[in-house]
Amino acid sequence: MRRGILHHRQVEVAALDLQSLILSLSRFWADNGCIVQQPYDVEVGAGTMHPETFLRVLGPEPYRVAYVQPSRRPADARYGENPFRLGRHLQLQVILKPSPDNVQELYLRSLHALGIDPAVHDIRFEEDNWESPTLGAWGVGWQVLLDGMEITQFTYFQQAGGIELAPISAELTYGLERIAMFLQRKDSIYDIEWGGGVPYGLVRLQEEIEHSIYGFEVADVEMLRRHFEDWEREVGRCLEHDPPLVLPALEATLKTSHLFNLLDARGAVSVTERVGLIGRVRRNAVRVARTFVAQREALGWPLGNALEGEVE
Amino acid sequence: MMPVFLLELRTEEIPANALPGARRQLEERLGAALAEKGFEGATVVCRSTNRRLTVTVSGLPGRQPDRQERVMGPPARVAFDAEGRPTKAAEGFARKLGVSIGTLERTATDKGEYVTAVVRHEGRPAGEILAEIVPAAVRGLRFPKTMRWGLGRYTFVRPVHGVVALLDGEVVPMELFGVASGRTTVGHRVHAPESFELGSATGHAAALAERKVLIDPAARRRMLEERAEQLAGEAGCRVHPDESLVAEHVELVEYPGLIRGQFDEAFLELPPEVVVTTLRHHQKCLILETPAGELAPHFLAVIDRMDDPLELIRQGNEWVIGARLADARFFFDEDRKRPLAELVPGLDRLEFHRVLGSLGEKARRVGRLAVRLAEALGARVDPADLERAAALVKADLVTNMVGEFPELQGIMGGHYLRRDGEPEEIWTAARDHYRPVGFEGEIPASEIGRLIGVADRLDTLAGLFAVGEVPTGSRDPFGLRRAAQAVVKIVAEAGWELDLAEAVASAAEGVSGVADADTGAVAQQVVAFMEDRVRRYLTEQIGVAGDTADAVMAAGWARLPGLVVRAAALEKARGNAAFRALALAFKRVRNITDGQADAGVDPGLFEQDAEKALYGEAMAFHEALERELAKGQVEGAFAGMGRLADVLETFFVDVLVMAEDEGIRMNRIALLKMLGRDFLKLADLSRLQVEGSES
Repeated sequence: MRRGILHHRQVEVAALDLQSLILSLSRFWADNGCIVQQPYDVEVGAGTMHPETFLRVLGPEPYRVAYVQPSRRPADARYGENPFRLGRHLQLQVILKPSPDNVQELYLRSLHALGIDPAVHDIRFEEDNWESPTLGAWGVGWQVLLDGMEITQFTYFQQAGGIELAPISAELTYGLERIAMFLQRKDSIYDIEWGGGVPYGLVRLQEEIEHSIYGFEVADVEMLRRHFEDWEREVGRCLEHDPPLVLPALEATLKTSHLFNLLDARGAVSVTERVGLIGRVRRNAVRVARTFVAQREALGWPLGNALEGEVE
Repeated sequence: MMPVFLLELRTEEIPANALPGARRQLEERLGAALAEKGFEGATVVCRSTNRRLTVTVSGLPGRQPDRQERVMGPPARVAFDAEGRPTKAAEGFARKLGVSIGTLERTATDKGEYVTAVVRHEGRPAGEILAEIVPAAVRGLRFPKTMRWGLGRYTFVRPVHGVVALLDGEVVPMELFGVASGRTTVGHRVHAPESFELGSATGHAAALAERKVLIDPAARRRMLEERAEQLAGEAGCRVHPDESLVAEHVELVEYPGLIRGQFDEAFLELPPEVVVTTLRHHQKCLILETPAGELAPHFLAVIDRMDDPLELIRQGNEWVIGARLADARFFFDEDRKRPLAELVPGLDRLEFHRVLGSLGEKARRVGRLAVRLAEALGARVDPADLERAAALVKADLVTNMVGEFPELQGIMGGHYLRRDGEPEEIWTAARDHYRPVGFEGEIPASEIGRLIGVADRLDTLAGLFAVGEVPTGSRDPFGLRRAAQAVVKIVAEAGWELDLAEAVASAAEGVSGVADADTGAVAQQVVAFMEDRVRRYLTEQIGVAGDTADAVMAAGWARLPGLVVRAAALEKARGNAAFRALALAFKRVRNITDGQADAGVDPGLFEQDAEKALYGEAMAFHEALERELAKGQVEGAFAGMGRLADVLETFFVDVLVMAEDEGIRMNRIALLKMLGRDFLKLADLSRLQVEGSES
């Protein structure tokens, strides 16, 4: 008989289902000054690519926002067979700009909102820096471990779109499925409870299977390449338009990024080509970022200037 | 009692790898700054947790010592008139320094007589000095990576939230990263998060300990080690020693707690390296092993708190580890669905280097090179086997498991090929061919493993040199020094009669098709690079002196087994007195014969007994040397060399080499040349640094 190590019964208060996690975190961050935004309706690999992060962290305007972002990573898909991996997972993303002095404390309080009492757990902040070559962005921070489980990426953005940032934003990215799995002590993502007694698998398994087949076997490589070229050109057209169209340009850039991810999953990107394609996406991300900053400055920083009136 | 100074810098979690360096730097910088200000006897001790850096300075006088300084003024002839009365210049000088004119002195210098004044500097209070030098020392710290936060005004390793600066009971005013100093701090985040005031600098460590913060890394380590032993013992196990992991844990906590958990024994069916990697590298757990040395289904997890009140922490860690191991087992099962050989074509899709092509291409080059090495060695290995093995050993790079755990490359290949029923020499070759790392570790067990290990690294060396990726200073991103060291170690310890220069030339030829570089020049560069590694091998691994290595390498170094034997034999022989004389005599031989034509020895032209004797001994040495070298008995050869010391010395005393008669002179030179040639088959003794030699 195998010992049921994986089947510890929950000792804590009844663990939250997935949608309660989302609702609780959204409520918590709304109460702490965040706008609760919605997922971006363009395919992205991470919540960071949402304009509410990628663009808002630029320039001196203060901002606080929280939103869920389904993040698509075609290469991570596993036909729904691997109980720990998904081609599309949910992130709950929080941006606090400028990062407040009590950001760690706020974060720990947000765990309380999930029924996690730091007084009876081991919560650790272990160095984990972040870099996105396609966005020309990097940051310094930690992965947050709850009893050995990585539940959040905590990043102080230092640069985005190739631009040195000031003020600095704190980005908190909660991995929702992981947290749910851990709190519910489930051995498979597909067994976690989404809400109302409905398991995750019944909501999403078929999607994972189909997108795996599509991404690994079916996606039309020639078409993807063609669209990459098309959307890449579209970035230029949007930015060269008078006035420059920043959001459409960002969307076009994000599309090239996703097309690249699809090509990569399909095994169609040679190692040498890879660097080149990433560079092309980054160049556009950098152009979009610069144009955005110029545009906001011309508008007189509509959300205010956090750096103004600050005396050394 | 001398006053004590305390600085505590409270931050968000500092990365473990930044702390030991920060402590060291802070002690050095502050120690130097204090000494510069006249506080020579002060002791600076820096301690830290992951959330605070502290400095304690003791042995500090309350004030800086008073100091006198002699200040140079104008030349005496300008400062005093003919009658010796002070001029305007002298008055101005005295006024500027605030001394009375009567105290001015005349001092003789190289440039003539000058007016000087002795200025007294009154020592300032220690607090004032500390308020200046401490912030400068902290701001000057260097970290592996720094960041900005908030409005982005300050740069440090992590955001700073509190500064305590106390000289005994008094706050030393200063500001660091926008935070003003005070006496308020906090205890452990879980156990004592309330802020509290420190009455004095001396009670700091105790006040923190009361609040479950152990500020001394050494104390945390002791606790951790003791507790680990205890928890392991309770489970009938012992802790697998893991110095670097313990050192890291010590830096990751304020209070070093430890819990023991277990995992499903079924996971022990996975290769042990997979379990260890999951536990150690991904969960930073200490590994427990049974008394028999086998992996036990337990682990120790370090936690930053003293307890696990509801056992939730243990359960959580067990759940995570169970999930991680299940994930690894998923990869293992996926990989096992097909023989590893079927993954070989996938190597063509993995890049080795932008210019040098895919790993598939590299594996084919390595296969061909290994075949050439085997031929040169006369090794009985089927070329087809070797070429196939060169690709097979890399095939695990395409597996799920190595994709997830890159550190298991080679090891997984070994496990998979073994399960595929491949012959032992193939699966061990996969397992071993990345070993040794530099000089560290055993050489591969099988001949195939050795051939591929050497060919793989020679191909890497030749390829990267050809594209200009040459190591400089401390920059060696591709680990080429270690690659070259491994080649040297394998060839030497396998006892291969392989000409390294020729092997390198073959490798350079092998990459000539992909890299656009002069093959000869590349080979030459790599050979020079290898030469340095060979010398290191002799000094670090064989343990001979640097000049012994130089002496034997000057007599040829491309064949390593012979070189190693010569080096060891010379190192042993050079200890006796005769050798010192011989080394000096040999220098003379070289001085006399270098650049001279060799006319050949004619025994009929010898006049003196000493030269006849030397000739006889030299001939005997020559014959013995040939015999002994053929049998590989180098020690005997060196012993024979030693016996020539006396007769050579007598020769130099009795015989004038530079005789007037040209025939006699040339004959004597020819005799020495003959001897020199034979010596140089073993070593260039003139490279030895012995007493009495000029160098």
